[in-house]
Amino acid sequence: MVKTNEINAGDILLELEDIHMYFGKVAALAGVSLQVRKGEIHSVIGPNGAGKTVMMNCINGLYRPQRGNIHYRGQRINDIKPYQRAELGMSRTFQKVEVFGGMTVLDNIRLGRHIHFKSGIASGSWYLGKTKREEIKHRTFIEEEIIDLLEIEHIRHTPTGMLPYGLQKRVELGRALALEPELLILDEPLAGLNLEEVEDMARFILDVNEEERWKVTCLLVEHDMGVVMDLSHRVFVLNFGYMIMDGTPEEAQINPEVIKAYLGEEDLYATRG
Amino acid sequence: MSTTWLPCGTYHQSYVKDHGWWQTSFVYGKMTLLVIVLFIIIPVFCGDYLLSIAYKIGYTILAALGVQLLIGYCGQITLGHAAFVAVGSYTSAMLILYVPWPNFLFSAGLVYPISMIAAGFAAGLWSVLFGLPSARVKGFYLIMTTMAAQWITVPLVITQYVSRIGGRGHYFSLPPGTISIGPWAIDSDRKIYYLMIVLVCLCLLAMANLLRSRVGRAWIAIRDNDIAAETLGVNIVWYKLVAFFVAGFIAGIAGSFWISALYFVSPEHFEFFYSLWWVGVILIGGVGSLHGVVFGAMFMVLVEEILRNGLVAMGGWMPELMLVGKFDYFRDSAFGLAIILFLIYEPNGISYRYWQIKNYFNLWPFSY
Repeated sequence: MVKTNEINAGDILLELEDIHMYFGKVAALAGVSLQVRKGEIHSVIGPNGAGKTVMMNCINGLYRPQRGNIHYRGQRINDIKPYQRAELGMSRTFQKVEVFGGMTVLDNIRLGRHIHFKSGIASGSWYLGKTKREEIKHRTFIEEEIIDLLEIEHIRHTPTGMLPYGLQKRVELGRALALEPELLILDEPLAGLNLEEVEDMARFILDVNEEERWKVTCLLVEHDMGVVMDLSHRVFVLNFGYMIMDGTPEEAQINPEVIKAYLGEEDLYATRG
Repeated sequence: MSTTWLPCGTYHQSYVKDHGWWQTSFVYGKMTLLVIVLFIIIPVFCGDYLLSIAYKIGYTILAALGVQLLIGYCGQITLGHAAFVAVGSYTSAMLILYVPWPNFLFSAGLVYPISMIAAGFAAGLWSVLFGLPSARVKGFYLIMTTMAAQWITVPLVITQYVSRIGGRGHYFSLPPGTISIGPWAIDSDRKIYYLMIVLVCLCLLAMANLLRSRVGRAWIAIRDNDIAAETLGVNIVWYKLVAFFVAGFIAGIAGSFWISALYFVSPEHFEFFYSLWWVGVILIGGVGSLHGVVFGAMFMVLVEEILRNGLVAMGGWMPELMLVGKFDYFRDSAFGLAIILFLIYEPNGISYRYWQIKNYFNLWPFSY
């Protein structure tokens, strides 16, 4: 294992400790440990079927690992349900876009702020006072912070299911951001996008990571090596349930095991436009 | 909630305006006209027969609203809604008949409103009880559990046990004058119509508001993608149960309203057929649309009445058509045929057609 710099315990936002996840006899994750520090973009790469998405699902609570601990802000969250993890400040996007197709873009993003809304059925059914004030307040936030950031003003009232794939991905990012997360899990945010959309998306990820307003820690799963190496502070390489390395992008590029398992022998930057 | 169409050159300057129901003066005028028609023109100028059809439509709207919420907005397919309407009806009737209310409540006309709210809660809780399996099962399997609600509630609990209370045989009849709201005894078709139109407006308004606030968004999110909803902080089990509760509550209100129209309750009014009928209402009207409930209810009730009148007219030539029960066969087959035709030719229902027509005139004379 390569470790370049010492990790200060207070900086760690998320820690996986020896996670084992089996489906029947197949080990999707066999003893994976990972530490994500606050404010970083931490990428997870690996060949198809390496267990990257399973790992994200474990962090997110959709799967429960058979062994091992997941700590978030020092708290053990193995037994916490996904919706409670959202309340802790964890948000995610999906590999295959999972937008709410029947809702408008605005409603999708509003749903992302679900945990910040407070009204229930009694006040919601009359839409007066509390509910109305709250809707207006959050609408202002959504318009000014999210729709403006992601440049989706023109489609805010369009049903999301009718949008092209690239915009759906963007709406999904907006929905995840609306939660004002501390940890944002991005499961292949660039898959299936064209070059321009990839550049936009990479810019959004950098923005939310670096801007004082957001300062979101990102856990990124991605296959586009050019983007991964450029964006991330640390890279974690997974190969069929086993961790190969965890270090800086520069280290990953010269690590012989990583090259053998995933990057391939040819020019690393062949995929870049 | 989709955006309202705004005339060229008109823009909203505040979010409050963009959140409003009636955003342009044209819509305002149109809706005022609708209110005048519903509250003044129809009750004043229609005879008792037309009013009775109108409140039957209203009852169908109230009953199908809960079905629409569960199927159209929350994605929980239900085939047992008549059970919850029955619970509402029976709760309301039994509260009126068997509870020794103090006299001043009777004279103030509060007993029926109180029983109506109680009926809502009783039906809501009963519905939550049968909604509990939705935490674990989806789709086809949930249909089976909601059908269980129907079979357990109506043929078993209500027919075999509840109906026996008081030794009245199989139905409870309510003495005249027991159903009154404040100073008004609900004793004529016109008063029933007024009660219906107020309830329908309140329930539709409440539902529309819910659907654009936190709870409704959570329901629609569960319908569209439950896994994504859960990762965004929606407690899906809780919100499914809330959906069952609200659907049951409205069903209870519907049931309680229906005793004011019939002055008696009997298990025959809550057979499995009605659960299917209300699902048919939303299929024809349009799944996932409140307009759909209204249009579907109007379509179903009006077609039924037209069929009935047609059959009566034909009775002169073919007396065998007038036999008891024959009408039910015609009605059922017409209902089945209507659903098949709608599923083939307009799967989005009447409300989608309405939306298309509205759009056409919004943009008229241009095509886009």
